[in-house]
Order: sequence, then C-alpha cells, then structure tokens
Amino acid sequence: MTLPLTLRNLTVRASNGRVLLNVDDLEIRPGEAVGIRGPSGAGKSTLLYALCGLQPNSTGEIRWGETDILSLGEGQRAKFRRENVGIIFQDFLLFEELTALGNAALAAAFGEKKRRRPIRANVERMLGHLGIEDMTRSVDSFSGGERQRVAIARALAGDPAIILADEPTASLDREAADRLISDLTDLAREENKTFIAVSHDLKLLDRMDRVIEIIDGRLAPEAGND
Amino acid sequence: MIEGLTDYWQSLPVLTQDLLRLALLLLPAIVTGLAVVSGYRPFSLVGALLWRFRWTNVMFVLLIGVSVGIGVGLLAQERGLRRGTAKAAEKFDLIVAAPGSEITMLFAAVYLQPSDVPLLGGGIYHEIATNKRVSLAAPIAFGDSYAGAPIVGTTPQFIQHLTGDLAEGRLFAASHEAIAGSKVDLPLGTTYTPDHGIGDAVEENAHEGHESTIVGRMKPTGSPWDKAILVPVEAVWEVHGLANGHTPERIDQIGPPFDPDYFPGTPAVLVRAEALWENYALRSEFTRSDTMAFFPGAVLSRLHGLMGDIRQIMSMMAVITQVLVTAGVLTGLVVLTRLFARRLALLRALGAPRRFVFSVVWSYAATLILSGSLLGLAVGWVSVKIISDIVSARTDILVTASLGWPEFHLLAGFVSLTILLALLPAALILRRPVVTDLRG
Repeated sequence: MTLPLTLRNLTVRASNGRVLLNVDDLEIRPGEAVGIRGPSGAGKSTLLYALCGLQPNSTGEIRWGETDILSLGEGQRAKFRRENVGIIFQDFLLFEELTALGNAALAAAFGEKKRRRPIRANVERMLGHLGIEDMTRSVDSFSGGERQRVAIARALAGDPAIILADEPTASLDREAADRLISDLTDLAREENKTFIAVSHDLKLLDRMDRVIEIIDGRLAPEAGND
Repeated sequence: MIEGLTDYWQSLPVLTQDLLRLALLLLPAIVTGLAVVSGYRPFSLVGALLWRFRWTNVMFVLLIGVSVGIGVGLLAQERGLRRGTAKAAEKFDLIVAAPGSEITMLFAAVYLQPSDVPLLGGGIYHEIATNKRVSLAAPIAFGDSYAGAPIVGTTPQFIQHLTGDLAEGRLFAASHEAIAGSKVDLPLGTTYTPDHGIGDAVEENAHEGHESTIVGRMKPTGSPWDKAILVPVEAVWEVHGLANGHTPERIDQIGPPFDPDYFPGTPAVLVRAEALWENYALRSEFTRSDTMAFFPGAVLSRLHGLMGDIRQIMSMMAVITQVLVTAGVLTGLVVLTRLFARRLALLRALGAPRRFVFSVVWSYAATLILSGSLLGLAVGWVSVKIISDIVSARTDILVTASLGWPEFHLLAGFVSLTILLALLPAALILRRPVVTDLRG
C-alpha cells in the first residue's frame, strides 16, 4: 500500500502558544523520498513528528491518503502509526537488554494477533538482509552501525507505507552512515515506501528525490534533486 | 438471604474458609492483572526494564520485603506468644490463694515470676484437700532460688500431674532431694545449697546447712517450670525454720496428707477435680472473703482479650505501615518511570496502544510488589523463628510461632491493595508528553 501526503495550513504551537511550525501547503507522492534540512531549531523534527500525529497542539490538515490524522483521536493515531508508519531515531532508541530480534520485533508485543507472525517473519528477513547474523544477541554488544540497522528493521517490521527518519546518520561514522544511506534508500525504493528523512547529511540528502528546507518554522522555496 | 449465607459459611470446614478468604483477598489483584495485560505480551519489556534498573529494583524489593516481613512477623509472634502462654498454663486447672490480684498470682504460681503474696493457712489447705470434689491439692511454695533457677516446693503428685514420667532419675523421697526442670543445668547427683530470694533480692548463704541433691529431671513442659528446681514443700518450710507440715512422729513424710497444725502456710494451692463442673463448683466454693479461687486459663483469656485488641491495633498499624511504605515505593516508581520515560515514549511513537504502555508499567510495578511480598514472607518466617527463640529464652515460655493463615490473609490484602495502587504510576506515565520524552 502506498499513501500520498497532503498537508494544508499546518500550524504547530508550543504549550505557551508560540508558533513552532507553519506550513501552508506540502504534497509528497507515494513512494517518494524526501529530505528535510534546515538550521537547528528551525522545526524539522517538529514537522516529522507532526506528520505521524505525535506533535501536540497541531492544527490544519495532514492527510495521508484519505486519512486526516489530525482529526483522529489518540488511539486511532496510534493505530495509524502501528499500521502505516515506521520511525527511525537519531540515537537508535533500542532496549539494550533485548536481542536484535526482540528489539526489531517490538511491534509484535502490542500488535494485533494476526500481525504478530508476519512481523516476526519480516524482521528475520530484514535483519538478514541488513547483515545482522546473530539475531539472538543482546544489542548492548552491537556497534553503532549494527544498532542503527536493528532500528531500521524495527521501523520496517510492520511493512509500513511510510518511513520517517530523524537524523538517522548523525550518530554514525562516515562508513557506517554511507552503508545506512544505501540500505535505507534502496529498501525504500525496492519496497516502494514513502521515505521522509530529517538530516544534515549531504550524502543522504543527495540520494533523496526531493529536499525541502525549513527556516524559522516555514518552508523555504524548494531546491530539490528533481 | 444473608443469614443463609452466614450459616453456609459457618458450615464450611475452617481450611476451606481460609482458602476462600485468601482467594477473595487476592481476587482484586488477579482480576486487575488479567484486565491490564490481556491481549498483550509486555513481559519481555518488563524483564528488560527490571534488568536495566536492577539495583534500584532490588532496593525497592528489599524495602517492601522488610516492611512486609516485620508486619507479618509481629502478628505471628503475638499469636505464638498467646499459644505459648496458654500451653504453659494448661496444667493449672484451678488455683486457690489468699485474696489479692489474680494476675499477680497467675504470674507467680504459673509463670514463676517473683512476687510477695500472702499465705494460705493450714486450716484452709486442709479444707481444700479434704473436699470431696478435689482429686489433687498441691501446695506451691516459692521464694528461694539456686543459680538463678527458682526453687519451688510442691508434692510428688503435682510433679506427676505436670510432667508425667520423669525424663531421668526418680521423684524426691526426702526433704533433701530435688527434681531439676528440663533446662536446669545441674546433672543428677549434684548437691547445692539454696539461696534465699530470687533475682536481685537473693541472699546467699542464708540457708547454709540445708543442702539438697538432684535425683531426677522432668520432661520439657514448655513453661518456666523447665528452668525451676522442684523440691518437697516440706523442704521449703524446713530451710526457713518452720514446721514441715507433719507431726513430729511423721517428720520424714513427703507429700500429703499435711497436718493443719503443722502447716506453716503456702502462697497458692493447685486444685484439680476430675470433672469440669466440679472445678467450677470448687471455684465458687473458695471464692470468699478469706480465699480467692480462679482459673488461670480464664485470667489468661482476659489478658489475651486485651492482647486481642492490641493485635487488632497492631494489624492495622502493620497494614498502614506497609501501605505507607508502598506509597513511598510507588512514589519512587513514578520517579523511576522517568528514567525509562524515553523508552515508553518510543513505544507510543511506534504505535503501541496506551493500554499496552500502561500494562508494561503496571506489570513492572506489580512484579516489584509481588517479589517484595514473597521476600516479606521469607523475612517474616526467619524473623518469627529468631524472635521466638529470643522470647523463649527470655521468658522460659516455649513460643513456637509460625506464619499462618492470618498472615497470608494480611499479605494477600496488602498485595491486592498495592497492586491496585500501582495503577496510579501506570496512569501517570500516559500523561507524559511523547515528543518531549523522545527528545530526552
């Protein structure tokens, strides 16, 4: 399944009412890879979290396919993320005490019963594809690159239509970052996922279909890779 | 309807009642647990969190364990003490003494606690001993000691009543012979000279020339009599320069009958009748202006009644203490959950339902509470054994306390209550802002 994104008049405010992000109009095609760049504090991560319905105090319209996630309740937003979104974080955010398999198949712990088996199968396939051979090893002994690959497998475990990544290469050395960029972009293309990544990494941004820039909470005119 | 249920409940065997009570007390915890975790598999994550913060968790478990252990240990100890005191008094059917305090006499005659009490004269003793309902009338005379062991003057019949056959040796047959209690560290054949008085008031060498020899040893009774030296009551009188209860022609006689004219007096007489109703009749008969008759068991029962009130207060205090400790632990949990707030925010970002996150936090707290409670049982069991030994050594009353149904019920109530309280930190974690926590 692929989902186009239509974003209209999105305003995100801080709890004190200050406007953090204001986006009038943004569209992303299904299967498109989009990079988001901009100075620190410009609102890049805020946009990323808003796109998956995590950012509080958001108004406007964020429509994935037919679903405006801002009109959903919290439980429905969680269900939407569970079924459609995979997220990769800058510092992996793994459970150090769990194995690679346990981390990557985390969604099986809370997913619907019928999805548990496919999730585990998908994770095993994904970890193998990403070169994690010992899946039953605790991740606290993994290198940074290995951890990030486990995080990618976790994001893709439920076969989501959308992959969101927040500075996915920031905690990696150049070599590991290059491998991750290849893994991520290749996987997104192979599996026809919509891939949106916040990053300062020019190599990553170069591999994206399009790059949007955010300055002071607003979209700058696009200077994409089209 | 209610009466019918009450009748049905009363008709159930005690064990069934206890089991049902336990199940009912645990029911809220079980129902809550099933409701919270049903449909999810939070246990690997709970295990990860437990291991991640293992030392903090160990401290929490220890805190709960010690608190629970002290609570259940105290309650079990109180029950053990009640049983021990009751068992120590069970051979003392009826005591007749000079009018005064029943409790003082109970402590003096049954538990051999030193006290000054007035004496009953020979006339009254004779009246008791010759009463047709009385099968045993044994004078109990005390006031001397040896090496800290109280010396009690009585009759061979009373010793047989108290302990049955001896553990070793024979009953005394002369006024210079004695029987040692089971815990008296004097081998058979040991000769000693009694001291006048007991404890701090002892006067050594006051009875020079009145030596006695240990000729027998009683079996354990689980009472202070195990640490006493029993001598013929005649010996007690003789060492004090009094007549020995018998006419000069029968000066060597040991035991009843005693001659009223040569009977110097006794603080108490243990009286026994064959039938229970006869004991009641004797109590009525000798409850009058010049004598006091009482059942030690009844006096003890009144004391236990008082202790029962204290027990209720103790139970309440134990519960309150444990709830306070748990409230502290739960507050600690709220603080602790901040340590893994980022991980829980991750779960929510990945789309985990709120109830799943709730179940992770609740299961984590419930695991700590259950582990602490189980540890508390172990702590309680050990503390009961240790305190029982100490109390037995200090009071000479055999206290064999052990954890029983009341403690299990208390623990079950505690577990249910605290597991319900654990819903609070689980609910609070859901109020935390996901994005703020994700950003750390």
